[in-house]
Order: sequence, then structure tokens, then C-alpha cells
Amino acid sequence: MTHRRWFTPWLLAGPAVLWLAVFNLWPAVNTVILSFTNARPLGGGRFTGLANYQRAVEDEQLADALVNSIVYLLICLPLLTLLPLLLALLVERRLPGITFFRTAFYTPVIASAVVVALIWGWVLDDRGLLNGLLGQLGLAARPVSFLTDRWLLLFSAIGLTVWKGLGYYMVIYLSALGNVGRELHEAAAVDGASAVRRLWHVTLPGVRPTMMLVSVLISVSALRVFSELYVLSHGTGGPGGRDMSVVMLIQLYSRGFTGHIGYASALSLLLFAITVGPMLLLARLGRKAA
Amino acid sequence: MLGSHWARLAVAAIAATTLAGCGLSDPDTGSDGPAVAAGAEVKGKVSIQTWALKPKFTDYMQGVLDVFQQEHPGVQVEWLDQPGDGYSDKVLSQASGGTLPDVVNLPPDFALPLAAQGMLLDVAAADPKLADDYVKGGIDAYRFAGRDGAYGYPWYLNTDVNYWNSELLAKYGLDARKPPSSLDELMARARTVKEKSGGTTYLMSRKPGLGDLADAGVKLMADDGRSFTFNTSEAAALLDKYRDAYKEGLLPKDVLTETYAGNAKLFNAGTVAWTTGGGNYITGLATDNPTLAPKVVPSPAIGTPPLYVQGLSVARTSKNRAAAVALARWVTNARNQAAFAHLTSIFPSTKASADDPFFSRSDGSNASDAKVIAFTSLGRARMLQPVQVNDAMSTVVNQQIALAISGETTSKQALDTAVSRCNKLLAG
Repeated sequence: MTHRRWFTPWLLAGPAVLWLAVFNLWPAVNTVILSFTNARPLGGGRFTGLANYQRAVEDEQLADALVNSIVYLLICLPLLTLLPLLLALLVERRLPGITFFRTAFYTPVIASAVVVALIWGWVLDDRGLLNGLLGQLGLAARPVSFLTDRWLLLFSAIGLTVWKGLGYYMVIYLSALGNVGRELHEAAAVDGASAVRRLWHVTLPGVRPTMMLVSVLISVSALRVFSELYVLSHGTGGPGGRDMSVVMLIQLYSRGFTGHIGYASALSLLLFAITVGPMLLLARLGRKAA
Repeated sequence: MLGSHWARLAVAAIAATTLAGCGLSDPDTGSDGPAVAAGAEVKGKVSIQTWALKPKFTDYMQGVLDVFQQEHPGVQVEWLDQPGDGYSDKVLSQASGGTLPDVVNLPPDFALPLAAQGMLLDVAAADPKLADDYVKGGIDAYRFAGRDGAYGYPWYLNTDVNYWNSELLAKYGLDARKPPSSLDELMARARTVKEKSGGTTYLMSRKPGLGDLADAGVKLMADDGRSFTFNTSEAAALLDKYRDAYKEGLLPKDVLTETYAGNAKLFNAGTVAWTTGGGNYITGLATDNPTLAPKVVPSPAIGTPPLYVQGLSVARTSKNRAAAVALARWVTNARNQAAFAHLTSIFPSTKASADDPFFSRSDGSNASDAKVIAFTSLGRARMLQPVQVNDAMSTVVNQQIALAISGETTSKQALDTAVSRCNKLLAG
């Protein structure tokens, strides 16, 4: 005979629910509330209606940051969806020494984003390795402004993101490729399908759900980029602050004794809305394809 | 029915908590209430918070506090020392949580927002002898536009000194012992270094900041501290000079996104010939690059030297104000400051220390020369940057100055944008 008390499930779920409420739900609700106020770390907090959102519409730095985010997304999404798949196909084969390549491709993932960005900063700066090489080869009379030109700095950060992300998504694809039935490949080969046709008609349909997952992950991280741009620009956001991401702007406005918590909260919600958009779109595309 | 009841309660609780958290009540801008009464007994438990003094200065600070407790047997002092990184966040969390220590080390830009919220005691009112014992520049650093009084005891002072790599300069026919006395002279020498080195070495590797504009006579802020005013034609002319120098290749390209530390890094590596730093810069360099340190020649800053001030403020919520004020005064008195200054290259803010030969006599080493130069520069040093300028404003100004120097926009346009954005940050 078992005794069932009504509160037993609550008792079991209670700690987790409390944790979620305090550290996830409440901060999210608080962010929404703060975005309608002029809150500062010390004082302020009066209701200001849509003033913060009005300010965001007129904010030139936010417009630049959104352009940067969209460029980031448009370049990172195809590169980080396809290149890791190709890498995974390469290292999937059981060849002698293939573990070395798998490890090598994954190494940038385990390195700290800040440390990696610092190393890239040394490579790309005025007197860095790359400019030294270009000078030695006679390809550039003066150092190339990788870290001071608006677009070159952005593309350098994108390059860093792609390089660092390859190994991570490669591992996800490797596990997906392992689930594609070998018998399908064998049957296609028996039917005379070439390697390219097998890739197109067997492998890709098999990993399509994973490609959707990877695309969503890339979209979210591309729109929320921070470390790469921050470290490569030494926290300055480039000349005129034109290389700032939305997260850098949130950090700019929220820090310090006189931070604009209300406005930073409004930017956070805008970023949330912008991030959710591509996620929903990709999820819808995924369902349609399925 | 029960569900909607709970929902209403939850919404009410969330709203109440949020409004409380936001601090909807107006800042306490009232008087200091009962100031420290004359003859109030110095007793009770007080806490003092310093910034990154442990472990290097543990013995010194503990000694100062021990003697204070011996002289005031009714007082128990609790010493808190916070790490260097994240200090502003720590103070902010203490202030918003109502747990500010009784006595707390705050530079003027940290003290201003706390004073504006009525969290700090007006020590000028609490201690009528303040102006008798401390230098005016130090006290003025804790006087804020629109508010009466002074909100901290000035503790130690510092300023910038120019440092030249004599070996590098000699290589290009320049004498470090005859430093430039104006920006134009500096740029002329930068041109010499660039031409003779074939563009591989630089003299200058820092872009100007608000301090440079102030030094050029530009009024940075309105007297009431409510708006910035540095978008003047004089400021634009200064940026134009830097823009031309950048275009000519007198500055490295990375200067646009480098921070202040970038210049020191290049100097320490021996790739640029000039940097600025505090009076103890050579001592630090002797660890980082012992070969270079003996070859460095110090000279006074070009123009008005900047004044850097550290101070001790007293929390208005202190339960033992008399003891807190006495403790802040004790730690910053002439004797204790002089003892501190003998341990490291900082300079006392007390008038009585002005004649101490320790600060005005060099032992002949370049590090000691730098200390003497810094000390003698303090007399004409002033705070070049308004205390209202916070990190976000500094970032915005640096961004726009970089844009002007890159030539992508006019200097005037960049300054207009910087002023507009800083005013928005100031106003909220």
C-alpha cells in the first residue's frame, strides 16, 4: 500500500522551480519592467513608457550594431553550416592518424574566446604576423588595417568566429553522420550512384535535422557576438564605435555607477526579439523540409 | 477563483519588489542630518575598505590601524581590502545593498554618484579643519558641481611624467635630455624619428583624450556640470593636427583602437620612444624590461600635468560617525601619508608634507629623478577630466576622436557627435 501526499511532487520539484524562478524567470520579468523605466544602478526607476524604445529607434550606434549583426549572421550562417559538414565528412573516415586531425580541428573550441581573440589580435595588428608576411612578400607597401578599418575589423572577427566554431559544429555533424544508415549508402552504391549523388541523396537528407539545429545555434551566437569584436577592437568598438555589436552596446550602457539600466534592458529585449525571429524562421523551414 | 487570486498576489508582489529594486523613491539629497557633533565620543565598531593594498601594504596599513585603536581604546576597526579588478562593481553592490563600509576608498569619480544619492558624509562640514591640513587641489577633487561640501578626505596624489627612450632617440639624432616643450615640437621630433627610421619606429603612439583637449584650453563642461562643451573650434584644431600626423605616418595605425595601455606596451617593448606614466613608472619597467629601464629619461609633462587623486569617504549611514571621521582623518594624516609615500611612489595630499626633502631630492637614479619631477609637478597639476566622465563616456569620446583622426569624418563633426552622445549619457 502506498501513501500519496498531495505535496510530494511539489516537494520534489520545489528546489528546481525555485531556482528557475529566482535566477531565470524573475530576471527576465525584471528586464521587461526595467525597460519601461529610467532605472540607474543607484536611484531612478521612474516609469517612462516607451521612451527607451523611442531612443533605440533614434540610436545611430544601434543601427550600426544591427548592420554588423546582420552581416555577421549572413556570412557565418552558410560558412558554419557547410564547412563543418565537409570537415566531418573528411575526418569521418577511419584512416591512420585521423584522430590527430579531429583533435586539431577541435582545439580552438576548447580555447577561451578571449585568449584566441588576443592571439588573433597579435596576428592581425599593425606589426603582426600577417602584415609582416604581406610586407615580406611585397604584397602590401603599408600595413593593412585589419583592426582599424570598419569592415576589415568586422570580417576579421567573423573569420575568428568561423575558425573557432568549425570544430564544435564538426563534432555535432560527426555524431549525425554516424546515424546515417550504412546500408543506404551501400544500396545506393550498388545502384550505381556516384559519391556526389550519394552525398546529395543519402547523406544530406540524413543530416538535415542536424543542419537545422546547427543553423539555429549559429544564428543565435552570431547575433549575440561579443568577445571577438570586443577583444580585437580593445574594447573600443573601432573608430566611431562602428564595429560594436548589440551586446557590446548593452554592456556600454549598463556598466558603472551611472549606467542606463532601463535603456540597456530595452536593448536586451530588442536583441531577444531579433534573435527569436531567425530561430522561428529556421524551425519553420525545418518542419516544411521534413 | 483561487487561481486568479494567486495571480493577482503574484503580480502585486512582483510589482512591489520591482519598484523597490528600482529605487523609485527620490535620492536622498537632504542634509547630512546630525553632523558629527563637536566633542562626540570616538567609539564603537567601524569598518574601512581599501583598494588592492593587500598583500603588498598589509603591514603598513595594519600598523596604521593598530595605532589608531591604541589611541582610541573604545574603537574596533574592521579592515576590508578589495582586489583591484571589479572594485567599482563591488562598491556599487555595497551602495545599492546599503552595506557601504563606514570609511571607504573612493576616487572622485566613484564618490560623485554616491554623493549625488546622499550616501556620503560632507566631511567639510563634519571636520572644520579639513582645509587647514590638506592641499586645495585634493579637497577640490571631492567638491562636486551643484552640491555644497566635500565628500572625501584626499589621501594620496599622483601625476604623469614623460618618459623617453634615450637610446632610441640617440639612434635618430635626438637628445632625450632636451625634451620637446609643445605639441608642435613633439610632432617635429616624431617626424624625424619616422624619416630616419624609415617608418619602422615611432615616437608617438597615443591618440589625444579629453585631458589633451583641456590642456589645450578647451572648456570640457559647463559650470553646472550638466552638459559637455568640448565641441569647440580649438578642440577641432587639435584633432586636425593629430589627423594630419596620422596621415603622415607619425603614429602607428593601431593607435585608432589602442587604449592607453597600448602605448605603454609598445614603449616597454622598446618600439616607441615616448610614453607617459606615474612617478614610479621606471620601477615597474625595471621588472618588465630591465635592459630598457636604465636608458629611460624622465621629464615633466608637456603643458598642464594631470592630477590623480585617491581619497577616503565616510558613509552617511555610519552608525559611529565620529569614529569613522576620526579614522578617515587618521589614515590620511600627514605622518601616515608620508610613511605610505616612503613605501611606494605616491605623494601625500597634506600640506605638512610639502617640505619633506624625501620627495624633492633625487638620489641621482632616473627612477628617483622621476619621483622628484612628479612631486614638483603636483603644484601645477589639476584634474583635467571632469569627474562626471564615466567609462561609457570615455569610450564614446575615444571612438569619435579615433574617427576624426582616421579622416573618415571632420574633427568638428566627430566632436559634435561625442558631445551629443555624452550629454545623453549624462542626462539619462
